[in-house]
Amino acid sequence: MIKIEHLKKEFIKTEAKNKRIKFAAIDDVSFEAGEGKVIGILGHNGAGKTTLLRMIAGIMEPTNGTIEFDGKDYKHNELEIKSELAYLSGNTKIYQTITPYELLKMCCEFYNMEESQIDKRIKEISKRLKMDKFLYNRIDRLSTGQTQKVNIARSFIHDPKYYILDEVTSGLDIISSQIILDFIKEEKKNKKCVLYSTHYMEEAENICDECIMINHGKIIATGTPEEIKKYTKTSNLREAFFALIGGNYEE
Amino acid sequence: MKSKTMNIFKKEMREVFRDKKSLSMMLIIPILIPLVVLGMSALFDMEANTDIEEYNKVGIAYKLSDDEKNLLKEFNIDYQEGTLEEVKKAYEESKIYAYITLDDNKYTINYNEESTNSVLARTLSFNYLESWKSILQTRYLSNQKIDPNIVLNIIFIESVAEDVTNNFFGEYITGYSFLFIIMAITISATYPATDTTAGEKERGTLETLLSFPIKSRDIIVGKLMSVTTSSVITGLLSLALSLGSLAYANNAFEIYKDINIMPSVDTIILSLVIILVYSLFISGICIAIASMSKTFKEAQSALTPINFICFFPGMIAFLVNIKTNALIAIIPFLNFTQIFNDVNGGEVNILNIILMIVSSIVYITVIIWYIIKQYKSERILFNS
Repeated sequence: MIKIEHLKKEFIKTEAKNKRIKFAAIDDVSFEAGEGKVIGILGHNGAGKTTLLRMIAGIMEPTNGTIEFDGKDYKHNELEIKSELAYLSGNTKIYQTITPYELLKMCCEFYNMEESQIDKRIKEISKRLKMDKFLYNRIDRLSTGQTQKVNIARSFIHDPKYYILDEVTSGLDIISSQIILDFIKEEKKNKKCVLYSTHYMEEAENICDECIMINHGKIIATGTPEEIKKYTKTSNLREAFFALIGGNYEE
Repeated sequence: MKSKTMNIFKKEMREVFRDKKSLSMMLIIPILIPLVVLGMSALFDMEANTDIEEYNKVGIAYKLSDDEKNLLKEFNIDYQEGTLEEVKKAYEESKIYAYITLDDNKYTINYNEESTNSVLARTLSFNYLESWKSILQTRYLSNQKIDPNIVLNIIFIESVAEDVTNNFFGEYITGYSFLFIIMAITISATYPATDTTAGEKERGTLETLLSFPIKSRDIIVGKLMSVTTSSVITGLLSLALSLGSLAYANNAFEIYKDINIMPSVDTIILSLVIILVYSLFISGICIAIASMSKTFKEAQSALTPINFICFFPGMIAFLVNIKTNALIAIIPFLNFTQIFNDVNGGEVNILNIILMIVSSIVYITVIIWYIIKQYKSERILFNS
């Protein structure tokens, strides 16, 4: 289980005439995410989704608050936690000059997998994502869909317990997006915990068990998509979101 | 920890060897060294072996005797005899490079100090007049029935060049070729250092790397090892090509006749030590600077001054002939080029070398500590 309590992240921004002010990109965020659940982190661009997920993935330090994975925190168990999670973001890219096989082998080594197990695991993943035909081609020569498959493969090569997926379908075509959505559904069946951020409300409605809506770094609603729609008296999450922010469109 | 560092090192080396630009930086820069060595040797050789026919045209503004004419011929001087006005005109029209006037018993050689041919013509004329003076002295003493040998050779002066292995050209060329090795290592370090830090950030792979269960220390040490390896390869290649071109120049050019400009085995071994320590030092500096840049281009601009800083202190010290002391041995950049020059010149001071190594290790440790700290800083990691 992932347990987030009173999480806060402050940045300093420069306004006109070199005036530097503090602002909270994430402010007092608390929630829990259990096994076999897809938790949607929803909000517009700049709402604080990426900052929140970067902190949960351990690549950014919070100003305040705690993050626990089955009772373990980054301060004392950083490597252990990172060994059990997969972080995939629309911003993260993979190495272009190597082949998918080399990339996956490298990732296995980073996750301290046994040398004898590496080849077997790569074959399993390759079969599951239908990557056999391009496993030994250079990544910079693959199509966007094939590259996305490789990116997914590298994120779950170590069979993680937790997935942190940050706008992974953003900018992708319909086929590439579907590859990712299918993958998330499968991992949910495997009792994995998935944190999934997106600004596509329809996509979230389709895939998430629970949703956390964020605006200006603060949680404005939590619950299942049905609960949120019922609470806001709307017919979909898109309308629910606008009802919750009350017409405040500022980024 | 060790295996994670090695994994990062393997990853980085794979990228260096598969990236055409990194590979060409590593391998092409050393090729310039033989061009410099052979080009400079050819230039010096040409300068030293200027044909006498190019500068032996001298004007004589007085009446010559037959004996003087014969002596001028012996000195291979293509003289033009005439009035002062005639020789001056010829000099101004560059038909002659110097002219001699006579006032009583005073001979004056007129020449242009800024013209190489004129300076050479002046030396030739001076030697001719010295010889003519000697003839007149001998004649005078003979007429006085005195043995000229007793008076003119009352003492003998002999110069013996004891150190026949060194000469100006040899020291100059080898000194510069070794300075170019330092420069080649620096240029070679800047590209992979930029690519592995700012490049990785710009390509979006740094975020991926940070999500793996690897400590910042392992990432930095792995990256530093790969950039250092790339620089060492350039350094070794540069040294090999430098030695090869010096060996060729030694045999091909007359300025090195009867002189051995090849460094000794000790010099080569110490050069390898300097290459290794300098590669580690410059790789750390380049990674530290490039890490702070948002983009690849910004990192390249930030690293450009390093290429000059590595070279100029050493070059200036080389030109003004500064002697290495304990203080210079710990001044970054200057110490490497200065000790490289000393070692190359056969002046091995173990204390200075130890000071250079120890101070470099201290600097490298501080640099690594600083970069590791940077890799925990969000300002550095997410500033793009």
